Amino acid sequence: MRDQYSIPEDLYYTKEHEWTRIESGIVTVGITDYAAKTLNDIVYLSLPSPDQDLKQLSSFGTVESTKAVSELYAPLSGKVAAVNSQLVNHPELVNQSPYDQGWIIKIRPSDLEGEKEKLLDSKQYAAFLSSPD
Amino acid sequence: MKQTPLYEFHANHGRLAEFAGYEMPLWYTSVVDEHLAVRNKAGIFDVSHMGRVTLEGPDATKLVDRVVPTSASIQAPGKSFYTLLLNPKGGIIDDLIIMKTDTGYLLVVNAANKTKDLSHIQSVSEDYNVTIHDLTDSSTMIAVQGPEAIPALQPLSSVDLSQVKRYTHVAGTVGRSRAMITRTGYTGEDGFEIILYDSGLQNNSAAMQVWTELSATARPCGLGARDSLRVEAGLPLYGSDIDDSTNPFEAELSWVITKEKTGYIGSEALARSSLSLTRIRRGIVLQEKIPRHGFAVTTPTDEKIGVVTSGTFSPILKKGVAIAYVNPAHSRTGEPVHVTVRESQANGSITKPPFYDENLYGWKRHKQ
Repeated sequence: MRDQYSIPEDLYYTKEHEWTRIESGIVTVGITDYAAKTLNDIVYLSLPSPDQDLKQLSSFGTVESTKAVSELYAPLSGKVAAVNSQLVNHPELVNQSPYDQGWIIKIRPSDLEGEKEKLLDSKQYAAFLSSPD
Repeated sequence: MKQTPLYEFHANHGRLAEFAGYEMPLWYTSVVDEHLAVRNKAGIFDVSHMGRVTLEGPDATKLVDRVVPTSASIQAPGKSFYTLLLNPKGGIIDDLIIMKTDTGYLLVVNAANKTKDLSHIQSVSEDYNVTIHDLTDSSTMIAVQGPEAIPALQPLSSVDLSQVKRYTHVAGTVGRSRAMITRTGYTGEDGFEIILYDSGLQNNSAAMQVWTELSATARPCGLGARDSLRVEAGLPLYGSDIDDSTNPFEAELSWVITKEKTGYIGSEALARSSLSLTRIRRGIVLQEKIPRHGFAVTTPTDEKIGVVTSGTFSPILKKGVAIAYVNPAHSRTGEPVHVTVRESQANGSITKPPFYDENLYGWKRHKQ
């Protein structure tokens, strides 16, 4: 089976399969369609508390399927501004709508311009996904 | 990597992964949906990777009686039984299903253990007049599981499935294939496992046709659902929950030992070990978080009492559930325990599996 993965053009990505949407002063973070499909049914997320300080590419929580646990990595450093509380009772939103209703946290970035260059744009992420392991 | 006769279907429709040397489907669409299909309706699993071996000849019963603690001589032909291959220390070499047929025995063993099991049985068989035949590569095996297993399988089957009692088997045909039909499985549900003879990877058309026709009414399920179903039913997996160092008493599998049976490999060691257990297999339900293999089990006051050997999310309970080994002093049902999930403690309690309500799910549901 060859899955097709959605990779929106307006987002930035990590090699750990998080996406981030950069808006004025705040960024939204989730996991990519590829990550959601590879994990299969997401049944539990362990999330940070609001105001927690995150460091770029360090772990801020976990996402779990029936069988596997994966770390979540912060695309950018900053403070947690919001956590998607819907996911507590409806973790399946991450599978159903990874880029919209299944968002995971919002971050108030501390060094957006300095750190952004470490992220992949949609073309780079697509190339990363299709490169051999 | 090896492929089963149904590989083409898996490659076209499933997410594949290596398991015991075979390229197997992890899931087709959704592990949770496949799991629930088996609990509520019917699911089909390709279990062709499991080892299938016949023992025939004048001493077949003597050989089986030597290698397992369940008495083979008292079984009637037509009986299927779950049992264990034991080593001289009473440890578990493998868990398996044995079918006693009119001509001998058919053993179904774990894929990862087939080579080890065969060499063990072969070395014991040197004292006996028995012919061992490995038919794994020349046959296909499909599990049809769930409360609607009979309606799914009956249209393809030459035998009246309602007459096949649980833990018995009959020979017949399924589709175009000569088949063995056994009313067994490893999901907690009612159902059948069918072995289609003369259908290996190179002549798989009859097996493919059976699978395709079954899939019209029963949902194809991968290894993900197979694992979550067996954990939810409290059934041990070799390599995770039991191994060469586990004895049947601590694994809560001593019911396979036929009372007063002696003379089987491991019997002397077991007579001693039954007296003093240092750990016992139990279920744990967590109120939050998901337990995983290797996580520590403690008392609420942080005293370590055991370890999780299998853990998953239960789609029926919508909670994390575990199979664990705990100190017998802390093993009573309802005992509050903690499981260390990464840095934090998750609240749970000791339970006697299966984890689901047996009035609502599992093969006993209509028997109440």
